[in-house]
Amino acid sequence: MAVDRAQGSGSYGSSRIVLVGSLVGLALAAIGVTVLIDREGGQKLLASIYDLLGNAAGAEALRNGQGDQFFAKLLLAAIALLVGVGGIWLLFTGASSLVERLRPGVRDRVLPLVFITPAVLLLAIYLVYPAVRTVIGSFQDEAGAFTLANWESLATPPFVEILRNNLLWLLIGTTGSVGLGLLTAALFDRIRRESLAKVFVFLPLAISLVGATVIWKFVYAWQPASQPQYGLLNAIWTAFGFQPIPWATQFPINLPAEMVILIWLQTGFAMVVFSAAIKGVSAEIIEAARLDGASERQLFLKVIVPMIRGTIITVTTTIAIVTLKIFDIVMSISGGRNHDDVVAVRMFAEMFQFFNDGRAAALATVLFIAVLPVMIVNLRNFRRQAAM
Amino acid sequence: MARNRWTTSALAVVVVMLVSACGSTSTSPAPSAAAPSAAAPSAAAPSAAAPSAAAPSAAPSAAPAANLPAVPTGYTELDKALGADMPYKGKKVSIQTQWTGGEGDGFAAAIADFAKATGINIQVDSIGSSHETVLKTRIEGGSPPDMAALAQPTAVLAYAKQGKLKDIAALVGPAGAAKLKAEFPSTIGLTSEGDKIWSIPTKADVKSMIWYPPKAFAAKGYKVPKTWDELVALADKIVADGSHPFCSSAGGPGTATGWQLTDWIEEILLKTEDPQVTQDWISHKIGFTDPKIKAAFDRVGSLLFKEGYVDGGGQAIVNADMKVVMDPMFNQDLAAPGCWMQKIPVWYGPDFFPDKRVNGGDSKYVIGDDGDIAIMPFPTISDTFKGAEGSADSFLVLNDRPEVRALAEFLATPEGLAGWIKGVGVLSPNVKVPSDWYAGNYKLKVANDIASGATAIGFDASDLMPPSVGGGSFWTGISDWANSNGTNTDSVLQAIDASWPK
Repeated sequence: MAVDRAQGSGSYGSSRIVLVGSLVGLALAAIGVTVLIDREGGQKLLASIYDLLGNAAGAEALRNGQGDQFFAKLLLAAIALLVGVGGIWLLFTGASSLVERLRPGVRDRVLPLVFITPAVLLLAIYLVYPAVRTVIGSFQDEAGAFTLANWESLATPPFVEILRNNLLWLLIGTTGSVGLGLLTAALFDRIRRESLAKVFVFLPLAISLVGATVIWKFVYAWQPASQPQYGLLNAIWTAFGFQPIPWATQFPINLPAEMVILIWLQTGFAMVVFSAAIKGVSAEIIEAARLDGASERQLFLKVIVPMIRGTIITVTTTIAIVTLKIFDIVMSISGGRNHDDVVAVRMFAEMFQFFNDGRAAALATVLFIAVLPVMIVNLRNFRRQAAM
Repeated sequence: MARNRWTTSALAVVVVMLVSACGSTSTSPAPSAAAPSAAAPSAAAPSAAAPSAAAPSAAPSAAPAANLPAVPTGYTELDKALGADMPYKGKKVSIQTQWTGGEGDGFAAAIADFAKATGINIQVDSIGSSHETVLKTRIEGGSPPDMAALAQPTAVLAYAKQGKLKDIAALVGPAGAAKLKAEFPSTIGLTSEGDKIWSIPTKADVKSMIWYPPKAFAAKGYKVPKTWDELVALADKIVADGSHPFCSSAGGPGTATGWQLTDWIEEILLKTEDPQVTQDWISHKIGFTDPKIKAAFDRVGSLLFKEGYVDGGGQAIVNADMKVVMDPMFNQDLAAPGCWMQKIPVWYGPDFFPDKRVNGGDSKYVIGDDGDIAIMPFPTISDTFKGAEGSADSFLVLNDRPEVRALAEFLATPEGLAGWIKGVGVLSPNVKVPSDWYAGNYKLKVANDIASGATAIGFDASDLMPPSVGGGSFWTGISDWANSNGTNTDSVLQAIDASWPK
């Protein structure tokens, strides 16, 4: 300690203030956490504040579950925000001020650990532990004994159908979004009013998956042939003299119908990222290719696409993960009841409706394993880009 | 410049969308924060509810007619709670339900007098359609509500198996348990195992009924069919007159699709076979491929999928949403119905009548035999088996405290549902509920008549099967079946049977 003091004497005064400040802050954070843990913490705290202000009636009402419940909730939200943001900030400033009092050699080795430990700890608690627990759970029956039944059931026809659907989502949903995104990005690059065109393709992305599904349900709406068709698609379809088709509920047409919704949403995302990448391709290269006599198609396929390869991989993997985890669209269309079930929807049903926690865990593990290779491709791509 | 302007306007659109989205979410906490206060007691002196004054409450003659049982009630904690010294005053009991809207109001009315008389602060969490999901999360997270309502007996038994529930027989003691068994003879067994009672039956539904427009019937000279043959004859007549006899949907609410059709199958089974067949079907002693089950499917198919009987056939049934399926009946104010009959439980009207559904408020259509829309009992098929189909929600007890016991015991008494029965209207599975409580309410009277006229009450079979069948493959399979207009009965039945958990 003596050595440390001699070396850091210049910053000693200010670091002591920081230290005391963080201790006080930690105490406050601890109080805040106790309020947050209590189910009625907000009401109790506001009630004590009312007592201090002399508003005994208000305090009594709050304690009985009446009165200014809304303010109690607001107060709770404010405390949560302060403890969350302030606590993290305190943790880092406090810890780094402590570390700075160490010898420089030790300090340099300890400092990265200080910053990385909270993140690793949180990851372990909220990601690694549940993941491990889920894998273990997939091998357990209701009583907790070891069983392979959950995994065996995944080989039965209903589950094979579910896995097939997810594969179709992965193939069609991803290629559709990426392909259309690339096409629109390349085409919009050449037109005037480019931003306007992009806004229209990009706007659907601002809609939630459930909201988009509700919109498309109106497009797909079906009425008996004797009734007027209010669904857009069937109105057009029947105008040509065809019989109305229940797009959203009849297998197999319902699968592409649902994928169109995702493609409608994700194309905008893909387009915006591709568009930025295309603009990043330097004009000299394009000019050089033109001078060498490359046609527009050759220019696009042999120059631009290879140049933005990294971006294409990133976008493809991102959308691939979205399609693997697809839930909202299928759930909102009909809950996967017309041969259009997917892993995530079935996982929810097994967990919350069928009380088959083990089978839900097995499905979650399948999803996890399916996403892994996509993640690895993505990480490799990142690393290569970083090396470049 | 032009580009800038476009970007700005695009941003503005996004901002407006965000603000409107946030606006709708930020207003929602207000009503939910206000909700508990409706159920909470005001600390006013409960003189009218003093237990000594509570005369035999079957006759609601006294002016303030508190819906409270007379002491001694037969339950220990309830007697204590209703004591003049109000021992549990200020104690909190939380109860989570799926009831919103009219049902939510009904439950609030049911517990209002009890809360006032005992001073117990009852906090009702009305979750609505995601009730089961929220409940499971709370139970597994280790912070369950003190009590909860639940519709599916299989789910109750699943929680019991996990050791999450309190045994109500132990809470109320041997005398109380005997009283429960006597007052809920047909329903308590659904969630009992040996001497253990896992839930208290509460709200009941009768499903064996058909809604129809009586004035339009009279105008066309149609008679209410009493038997299956009369029903088919009437349907043929309606088709000959250029309309469609049945409104039928398998969709909704939400992702619950198919239950209306499973109800049809269960109804036919109770009307054609011994109730024991239904029991064996539930316990999988006989499979879905059994000839008796197949016969029920075939009979339903011969009716619903017959050309013209439902506008659009099986595809229309799968596609139609429960909320709107009866709208064609109201064509030209019920003068020219586009469909004439819908099999659906008593809760359907008036909440789903088109005017009320769209505009809220009260429906202009009167429910009653002399009104605009009436209810007929489902026609009989066999002379011997005239069973009716019913279902019941029940209450779980998840935390054991004296005040929780008191509330559970109160809800088990006939008076526990009195506020709801006499107000919004609901059927109680408690046989001690005097039938004159239902007298003023057409729907309840019809339902009560159907139940008491039946040779047997069969509980909703799909609710008693393993949930992965009763709420899973049975629903999926029957949608499949309807989509094919019943041409694939054998393969559908085999698929459902194969999904039965080993």
